[in-house]
Amino acid sequence: MSTLIIIDQPPYGSWDGREALDMAFSLAAFDQPVSLLFCGAGVNWLRKGQDAAKVQQKSIERNLSAAPIFGVEALLADSDACGRYGLAESDLLEHAIITDFGPELTNRFDHVAFAG
Amino acid sequence: MSSSLPEQTKTPAPAGVFTLVITGAPYSSQAPQTALQFAQAVLAAGKRIDRVFLYGDGVHLSSSLSTPPSDELNLSEAWASFLTENNIPGVACIASALRRGLVNEAEMQRYELTASNLRPPFEIAGLGEWVDSAASDSRVLYFHKGG
Repeated sequence: MSTLIIIDQPPYGSWDGREALDMAFSLAAFDQPVSLLFCGAGVNWLRKGQDAAKVQQKSIERNLSAAPIFGVEALLADSDACGRYGLAESDLLEHAIITDFGPELTNRFDHVAFAG
Repeated sequence: MSSSLPEQTKTPAPAGVFTLVITGAPYSSQAPQTALQFAQAVLAAGKRIDRVFLYGDGVHLSSSLSTPPSDELNLSEAWASFLTENNIPGVACIASALRRGLVNEAEMQRYELTASNLRPPFEIAGLGEWVDSAASDSRVLYFHKGG
């Protein structure tokens, strides 16, 4: 049973993405294969050098950097969205992989869930 | 969708048992009503629901304090009645619930709060309950706020 969790919401504007991340970590904690895909404004989650202190939030960067250690298999970034936001692989967190988002990708997973 | 895609010939999980995950809040999204109507249709079709899991803003559905005007549907009450009558577990995610001020008596005591407000038969539990469903044969459906 493999799961792809898709985050299409920008970071810090709502709790949806943060709670989706908790879902991914929870699956990994129970040894269930899980990957995260960031698309739309969600690719901004993967930017390097985030500082959320001025909006009284914790930066998500440290959590995402630790995702592979906790067993999240892949951090995927939709190539179209990266293009739209001017993000090259060098702008993204270390483990992020730019990929094409389509049925070829989602068909590789048994279970696909969007963040709220 | 490209016409060259293979036609889907099988569903990812047998459509006999469903798990419903509600993430949209009552009175700010249609998610709880849509989910309730879907749940009623599932049972009417002779199929089963193994669990209803409230996550994110969906936990507001488990409040015992929501009091809409008398000519509006009380969604918390409607869902609680449906779950009780059909003996379906309703679970609110503990992290989502505590963040949003939905607590049962045990959490009230643990955090030394002045009140509890979880409406029976809803219970508070961890994401492990959702993982349990996701890893099972049940079809997991998500009811988000949309928009």
